[in-house]
Amino acid sequence: MGEFDHEVDAPRGATSREWEVFVREATADPLTHVGSVSAPSADVAREQAASLFGRTAVALWLCPADETRRYQAEAATLGAGAAGEDATMSVAEMQSETLRGEDG
Amino acid sequence: MISVSKLLCDLDAEGDGLRYDAAGESTKRQIRDEKQRRPVVVWNVTKQCNLYCDHCYAAADTEIADGELSTAEGKALLDDLADYGAPVVLFSGGEPLVRNDLEELIAYANDVGVRPVLSTNGTLITAERAESLKAAGLKYAGVSVDGLPERNDDFRGLEGAFEGAVRGIENCLDAGLKTGLRYTITERNAADLEGVVDLLTDVGVDRFCFYHLDYGGRGTEIVDADLTPADRRTAVKRVCDMTREYHDEGEEIETLLVGNYADAAYLVEYAREHVGEAQARRVYEYLRVNGGDPTGERVADVDYQGNVHLTQFWQGYSLGNVRDRPFGDIWEDESNPLLRALRNRDAHLSGKCADCRYAEVCRGASRLRALTVEDDLFAPDPQCYLEDSEIDGPTPFGAGDEPTSAD
Repeated sequence: MGEFDHEVDAPRGATSREWEVFVREATADPLTHVGSVSAPSADVAREQAASLFGRTAVALWLCPADETRRYQAEAATLGAGAAGEDATMSVAEMQSETLRGEDG
Repeated sequence: MISVSKLLCDLDAEGDGLRYDAAGESTKRQIRDEKQRRPVVVWNVTKQCNLYCDHCYAAADTEIADGELSTAEGKALLDDLADYGAPVVLFSGGEPLVRNDLEELIAYANDVGVRPVLSTNGTLITAERAESLKAAGLKYAGVSVDGLPERNDDFRGLEGAFEGAVRGIENCLDAGLKTGLRYTITERNAADLEGVVDLLTDVGVDRFCFYHLDYGGRGTEIVDADLTPADRRTAVKRVCDMTREYHDEGEEIETLLVGNYADAAYLVEYAREHVGEAQARRVYEYLRVNGGDPTGERVADVDYQGNVHLTQFWQGYSLGNVRDRPFGDIWEDESNPLLRALRNRDAHLSGKCADCRYAEVCRGASRLRALTVEDDLFAPDPQCYLEDSEIDGPTPFGAGDEPTSAD
């Protein structure tokens, strides 16, 4: 059995809080993770998840993604890697490059 | 995507095999010889953008957001997509050119056999950047312009954005890149459409893509500025008329309609009225093979943090994250009842969609718009502009009526 000592701790969602969604399709079924919705509050997350899964679910659970710890038995799917800041222009560089096309 | 130039003017294109299973009859080298079985993947490589457009589905901003996939993670994602058989990756954003490793990622996609294409606002494309994109193996650059200068710049939040985008297009064309226009039609810019087409025809673009507004990201804030059904019908008719006019004049420009599969039904009706019954039958069969709205099937999105979405416009819901599971495992996981229902949507569509004679070529168009406006995943798309007489009645042509050379 794995030690589940590989944590995936990258953030999920920047404009709004992200909520992990779990549904049960029948009372005898297991609770299944079905993805996540972006919403500023639990109430809005519930409305959004209900509009997507209300047709088939008998139970709906929501958990804030930033309160969820994700551990894997194997190393991360995409391998290690620092966040991409170094790969992206600074705001100043971006602004100085904008509309520079005619100079090139 | 619906190729007006292919369907009404028989203009061959690289996407014929991918889109219509029509590689054999095309004179153009094909992206795929068989119709796609795996989705085209839009990858929003960053949320950062140098502009602030009113209709941005990604709600992009000038600041760098936390959690962007790194260069190494991006390459691992591209390996993942290649293993799964994704035919095309569309580098999008935010503005993808703010990433300094964009060319490295494009070259990597090319190396692993996923066709790299680009969606950009064009204002960062200098002559040297266009050359480096071409050298990296980029196959196509789609540049967004949403009106003549005044309206475009107002929409995009930067004076000079129009001129910058046109210079970017010219730089791409000079570098030998296949380059096209992306134009999202709304009430605010419909009047500029012909002016932009005339101008960019003279510039020499290879392709026009006309997008209907989808209601995701900041697009939800300008739903009121969307076209009425009558105005939409007029705009789509104008696109069809213009396409035939410039093809008659010898301009071989590929022209596509994107984002509303009511267009598929309209194109059959248009062909019937203007090009003849035999061509209408061919158009219908191509569109039947194409398969209608591609949400959750032939198009997928991976955002800058690795979240997988049903389309690039539907950022408010994620199926899972590629940092947790390979893309193919997420996309194939039909234990998810929403994914299952979307892929079997014909059984769930309600209202006028349930009995529409064009259901097979449209498949209800945008589920996101239905959800946003009606709060009902399977309600009719509020952008449907078909008339009742077009909706009612038997299927226009029986299934299996293959177009033949005699047509």
